[in-house]
Amino acid sequence: MATSIQGRISRRQFLGGTLAAAGALVLWPKLTFAATGSDTRFLMVLLRGGLDGLEAVPPYGDPGYQQIRGALALSPQGSNQPNVPPAHKLDNVFALHPSLDYASQLYAQGQFMPLVAAAPPYWGRSHFDAQDCVENGTNEPHGAQTGWLNRCVAAMPGVEGLAVATVMPLTMRGPGNVTSWSPPLPTQVNPILLQRLQPLYAADTRLSPFFARAIDSQQNEPVAAQGATMQGVGIGKKKANLGQLPVLMGAAGGFMAKLDGPRVGFVEDNGWDTHANEAAILNRKLSELDAGLKAYREAMGDAWNRTIVVVVTEFGRTAAVNGTGGTDHGTGGAMFLAGGALRGGRVAGQWPGIGRSELYQNRDLHATTDLRSVFKGVLAEHLKVSDSVLESRVFPDSGKAQPVEGLTRAHSAA
Amino acid sequence: MNTAESAVAAVNRFGLGAKPGELGEVHDGPGWLGAQISSGADGAQLFAALPSSLDYLKRESQYKLERREFKQADNPQRRALFGGDAMKSGVPNATVAAAETRKNDALPPEVRDIQAELRDDVFAEAAARFRLAATTSTPFMERLVYFWSNHFAVSLDKGPARLFAAPMEREAIRPHVNGRFADMLLAVETHPAMLRYLDNVQSIGPDSFVGERVSARLAQKGDDNKGKAGGLNENLGREILELHTLGVNGGYTQADVTELSRAITGWSTPVPRDFDPDARGGMGRFRPRAFYYNQQIATLPPTSAFVFRANAHEPGARKVMGRTYAEGGFEQGKAILLDLARHPATAKHISLKLARHFVSDDPPQSLVDRMTRSYLEHDTDLAAVYRTLVMSPEAWGEGARKFKTPQDFLISSLRAGQIDVGDNPKPLLGLLNTLGEPMFTPRSPAGFPDIASNWIDADALWKRVQAAEALSQRVALTNIQPLDLAQGVLGPHLDSETATAIKRAESMQVAVATLFASPAFQWRV
Repeated sequence: MATSIQGRISRRQFLGGTLAAAGALVLWPKLTFAATGSDTRFLMVLLRGGLDGLEAVPPYGDPGYQQIRGALALSPQGSNQPNVPPAHKLDNVFALHPSLDYASQLYAQGQFMPLVAAAPPYWGRSHFDAQDCVENGTNEPHGAQTGWLNRCVAAMPGVEGLAVATVMPLTMRGPGNVTSWSPPLPTQVNPILLQRLQPLYAADTRLSPFFARAIDSQQNEPVAAQGATMQGVGIGKKKANLGQLPVLMGAAGGFMAKLDGPRVGFVEDNGWDTHANEAAILNRKLSELDAGLKAYREAMGDAWNRTIVVVVTEFGRTAAVNGTGGTDHGTGGAMFLAGGALRGGRVAGQWPGIGRSELYQNRDLHATTDLRSVFKGVLAEHLKVSDSVLESRVFPDSGKAQPVEGLTRAHSAA
Repeated sequence: MNTAESAVAAVNRFGLGAKPGELGEVHDGPGWLGAQISSGADGAQLFAALPSSLDYLKRESQYKLERREFKQADNPQRRALFGGDAMKSGVPNATVAAAETRKNDALPPEVRDIQAELRDDVFAEAAARFRLAATTSTPFMERLVYFWSNHFAVSLDKGPARLFAAPMEREAIRPHVNGRFADMLLAVETHPAMLRYLDNVQSIGPDSFVGERVSARLAQKGDDNKGKAGGLNENLGREILELHTLGVNGGYTQADVTELSRAITGWSTPVPRDFDPDARGGMGRFRPRAFYYNQQIATLPPTSAFVFRANAHEPGARKVMGRTYAEGGFEQGKAILLDLARHPATAKHISLKLARHFVSDDPPQSLVDRMTRSYLEHDTDLAAVYRTLVMSPEAWGEGARKFKTPQDFLISSLRAGQIDVGDNPKPLLGLLNTLGEPMFTPRSPAGFPDIASNWIDADALWKRVQAAEALSQRVALTNIQPLDLAQGVLGPHLDSETATAIKRAESMQVAVATLFASPAFQWRV
């Protein structure tokens, strides 16, 4: 890339000199700690496509499991799949997929917790409607134009949210103070060009707040995030073994570990829709998630002890394996919680059973926990969002989804 | 709306963005678009040299057969790579991965050549697509091709579909872009790209000949039917209803999904043994071809990239959306698709998507209703729907504007800057990827989203500024007057502030970058 003379003035020098003087510069809020009384962190990870909970958290102790899962069944005693090591035993009923090595170590330390048989309130099996429902936080798809995590941020004065994405996902859209970030193009932008574009964008009412934010967040890029590079650019190139998720989660940690960094973060990933050849795909994808957890934990440093991570998906998959070594869209699924502030080391949720007669519509694992019950529990205990705000603004009309209690160490100690 | 405004809307909102001089040639927006509806898309010659899906399938088969032969041949080098202890469980994944890499490196040159050739073809397809986008004189038609390609989204992320994504656009979308939706639907759902992307090639009717054989064999082995080949996969059936035709609120149930999935069991593509003369008649380790095919084609090599495997087709009548379809092999699924194409919910779904794409994120209901009627009255004829769209006053109203997607942004920059695309599309593919809209790689079968809030964001705008700089460096700057260029591209929408910024730019290149990065350039107005 040719460098113009103007390009040699660094972006930082330019921004520091011009924008700060112009009063356009907004730093990460400094008042976070004082404003809310604690400095906890919350990261949500959305796995798009429908993670198969029965594969991620195999209920090997359920008498119906081996029968209905056949070739895909996993257990701590070994699996029916060639070249797949035994699952990590969690208790007498549940195990963890063999790819979730690091997660099983966290589990042993009480910092990881699967929650079984969970789903959003929409049970219609469409990816897009189910994701919309998970993200908007109401009882149904398209029930709100904003995301619940954004409304949560909006309810916490002085708090900023971060979405690790090129464009803002619905979860994080809304009135709250939220910015987005994704790995950079390896290009220095000519600071003079930026200077000229400023007044033009200021005049475009639809675009101006986003442009101002872009300039702002470029200046505040943390070191960890600058180190993150785009992977898998272009087609025909081999993707890095561990995929995008460790890069994105590591970058989220880089931002969120900072003293005045965003307290609420969001990361998303695709590729969980395992209609065929599920064993091989999940071996890889769950390794990516495992590496993502590790990257985030390491980037967070000491802040990990004040952190809870929630990993969710839009639905579980059929209990039985389909004709192509995969599973189709289902209902009840699994979610994960992690973090130093978590009271983990146990399997949560109410297990509905996986025998033929126990299935929903004769095909799916039932859902016994509304995802929002977990979100509400975390927001209440960990982020100290008040009940009235949770019920009225963040999750309207969610009275039936009572918050799950006792999720944090702090709460159970008190 | 005056003439100049209708011209700029036709070129920038309905088309792909103005080439220098294009605005001056358009005197009547609706008339210019109508002429394209009649003529269809130009540029067929750019794709003439590219292989057909059948060619791709043949070469892919050849590759698979040669690779298998090499694996089976008894040579020490092969044993070391494929037969040794490295593949046994207990060996760290990294070791296995390294062995995999070596395995490919060790393949004989003729096998590696096919692999390299196929990879080059994927890039040649992309280069041809970019070249036509940058130069076409029927940009309204070209935009419609992209619209339908995204409506029937397939993704390069799915390995087996990768070779066929671009050919599907050429073979199933382009020929029908101003024809009947019913024909396009059938062409897409029988194309290898879609059949592989949504797993239908693997779907087998449980009570079909093949399904029963497989169950019997598994039962013999004392195995039940879980996770083995030999069953139904409802992925394509569901997305046909939810995404391709009726829409998610189109009134179908889980039973309709299952029934449609059963009806299209047997819709598949040729496999390597179909191209192998030795395997076709013989027994050996290959089953006879008749096992897979209708009797009449059992001994012929495939002449199409689609095959109907009668013996994998679920027998019996099917009931979809309240109508019963008698058993009729391939014709059964075809009849269901044609009825789905003509369904009022499909008419509404498609009219809304088209109006949203060309007019505004939230298009006037009166316009959508008029297009819906036109679709139903003309038996799914898309040309009639497009004509209704461009002749409707709502399409030219005050609120009509769209935010450019990354692909819109890139293509309109290529056109405005007359950028030579060249034969290597990799930098442009990389740019699209970074901007968030990688070519033929949507994040789901729903395709890329088509409303502004999905694309407008801090990080996205920042990347556009970076991309504008990179693109401006590829514009040939001789004989360019940046201000003329801006006027030629934005017409009456070039505001005085943007004009001033461009005039004051320190260099031609910065002036062009300012145009590409300006807010005015981010909208289709």
